[in-house]
Amino acid sequence: MSIAVFLESYNNKMVKAAAEAINAAKIIAEKTGKEMFGIALDENIDEILSQAGNYGISRVKGSSHITLYHSSMYARFIANAAREADIVIFPGTVWGREIAPQVTIKLDANPVSDIIGIEEGNVFRRSLHGNKIHSTVKADGKLVITVRPAVFDLPAETGGSAESEPITPETMDSDTLSKLAEILAASSDKVELTEADIIVSGGRGVGGPDNWPLIINLAEVLGAAHGASRAVVDAGWRPHSEQVGQTGKFVSPKVYIAVGISGAIQHLAGMSTSEIIVAVNKDEGAPIFKVADYGLVGDLFDVVPKLTEEISRLKQN
Amino acid sequence: MNIVVLLKIVPDTETRFQINNEGTDVVWDDTIEWVLGPYDEYAIEEAIRIKEAHGGKVISVTIGRGKEEKSIRKAMAMGVDEGVLIENDELVTSDPTSIAKALAETVKSLNPDIILTGRMATDSSDSFVGPAVAELLNFPVVTEISSLEIADGVATAIRDASGRKEKFELKLPAVFTADKGLNEPRYPKLPMIMKAKQKPLDKKGDAGTPIIKNVNQLKVEFPAKKEAGSKITGTVDEMVNQLVDGLANKEKVL
Ligand SMILES: Cc1cc2nc3c(=O)[nH]c(=O)nc-3n(C[C@H](O)[C@H](O)[C@H](O)COP(=O)(O)OP(=O)(O)OC[C@H]3O[C@@H](n4cnc5c(N)ncnc54)[C@H](O)[C@@H]3O)c2cc1C
Ligand SMILES: Nc1ncnc2c1ncn2[C@@H]1O[C@H](COP(=O)(O)O)[C@@H](O)[C@H]1O
Repeated sequence: MSIAVFLESYNNKMVKAAAEAINAAKIIAEKTGKEMFGIALDENIDEILSQAGNYGISRVKGSSHITLYHSSMYARFIANAAREADIVIFPGTVWGREIAPQVTIKLDANPVSDIIGIEEGNVFRRSLHGNKIHSTVKADGKLVITVRPAVFDLPAETGGSAESEPITPETMDSDTLSKLAEILAASSDKVELTEADIIVSGGRGVGGPDNWPLIINLAEVLGAAHGASRAVVDAGWRPHSEQVGQTGKFVSPKVYIAVGISGAIQHLAGMSTSEIIVAVNKDEGAPIFKVADYGLVGDLFDVVPKLTEEISRLKQN
Repeated sequence: MNIVVLLKIVPDTETRFQINNEGTDVVWDDTIEWVLGPYDEYAIEEAIRIKEAHGGKVISVTIGRGKEEKSIRKAMAMGVDEGVLIENDELVTSDPTSIAKALAETVKSLNPDIILTGRMATDSSDSFVGPAVAELLNFPVVTEISSLEIADGVATAIRDASGRKEKFELKLPAVFTADKGLNEPRYPKLPMIMKAKQKPLDKKGDAGTPIIKNVNQLKVEFPAKKEAGSKITGTVDEMVNQLVDGLANKEKVL
């Protein structure tokens, strides 16, 4: 039996969360001796094949005919390609979360969503109740797994290559019921919050939307994504897609920098699993300092410009 | 138009959980307050707005364990017209696939034009039920939407996906899962709270669908607590230098 991984791609390139999903598949493969293969579909999957090969996937079932994302067609394609597998792994991206349940039903499989760890071939760690509880589950039968982004490392590069088994996607009349009409804003240089290695987030302490360049500039010199607290989103300073926390995004980057954020429990729920937490806050008693590895007690309007300057100086050398 | 909202009643996000002596589950005692899922509130609000604009009725469907009526009445006070509540302990703790099958079976008999769910339940964070119900009913689905417009049986939905904004067009009937930002849920007003008590709530024991339990919890733990590091004080220059030095030389992340 084997493990299938959906190699999610956009504009013919594999997304980072898919590479992390390959690593999850490798961990399961090592524990079980199962073979792995990838499933790819895009307009041209050549580069995805070489990316996958380099990460240690030697076989990819794929198609180079797809120009438009369409979840029910993707689900049908992936389910057909994954029939031989007993574990199907998806990156826990928006697309992954949309397709995986449909594939689960088609394959009559059991879902294990949003895993953050692998203990045995069928024993996984999940996080419940907004990261307040970690749960270990054992799952029997055929499985469809989604992997929380930015939790698993990228797989080691092997320099290998992947062979493709072309398959032709079937189209169905029902496909016309729904279509992706338009990409309204596609900023390829924007780093996605849940997939970023470094995140700079601003809170109410930043004072208003006009001060946001402070956050964005620091994020830029770090090559980081930028986020916000709910107070900021509710005030309309930033879009809800940037909200980190219990009712926003769950993130666990290598470095999380909280600027002018008090550290309410619902905010911590979304970011406290970050590897290194930096806080800038003028209130020494702010709860964010309870989780901060580097807690700078000071005025953000002094600290952040200086920090941005120092980091950009360091990066230039 | 028949608009169905799927409502999961979940522990309040402020709940401080305890773990049982065996370490196999959290303690489900009376200190837990059960509330409408935060994302489900967006689904409810959107359903009511669609009804207000296009006519029809809003019906909620819930699978629960006996703690749900108060929250369903709250949804009714917001504007939900009728509810179905399946109370079944075994079902509610079974795999997400059986929940989805029971919901799909129940929803089918309501002849829905639109089904709305939350983008995820904040307790289990499966993000599974919406697209699974769509698959079971053979309806198209768009998840995690932040905008929805309906005109002449066609829906236009927008969502954020991995740094992009995607716009979809779908023929109804269809399933949508609601993200934050879709709308601003209303607060129930007193006359509606009174009226909600009289609205029909159809209670059942099961949906006649199979109950599957292939995924079993072995243990639960509190996540490893982060050790707070030292606070850094001093002049701005001193603080920044200490931080940059730490990130560059100790953590090696710059
Ligand atoms: C059901 C529910 C869900 C929620 N979900 C979320 C969620 O997903 N995400 C989330 O973030 N919150 C969430 N909240 C809200 C949360 O409880 C807090 O209200 C919110 O996180 C506060 O945001 P903040 O830290 O930006 O603002 P505040 O709490 O007002 O903190 C501002 C901080 O900035 C500091 N500050 C001010 N000026 C300066 C300065 N010049 N220099 C340095 N520091 C300064 C202050 O000392 C203070 O600590 C939720 C709440 C509820 C009830
Ligand atoms: N037991 C349930 N009863 C009714 N609706 C549910 C139930 N479980 C999940 N849902 C719906 O599906 C959404 C996603 O839940 P989940 O897939 O568990 O993350 C929730 O926000 C609800 O709208």
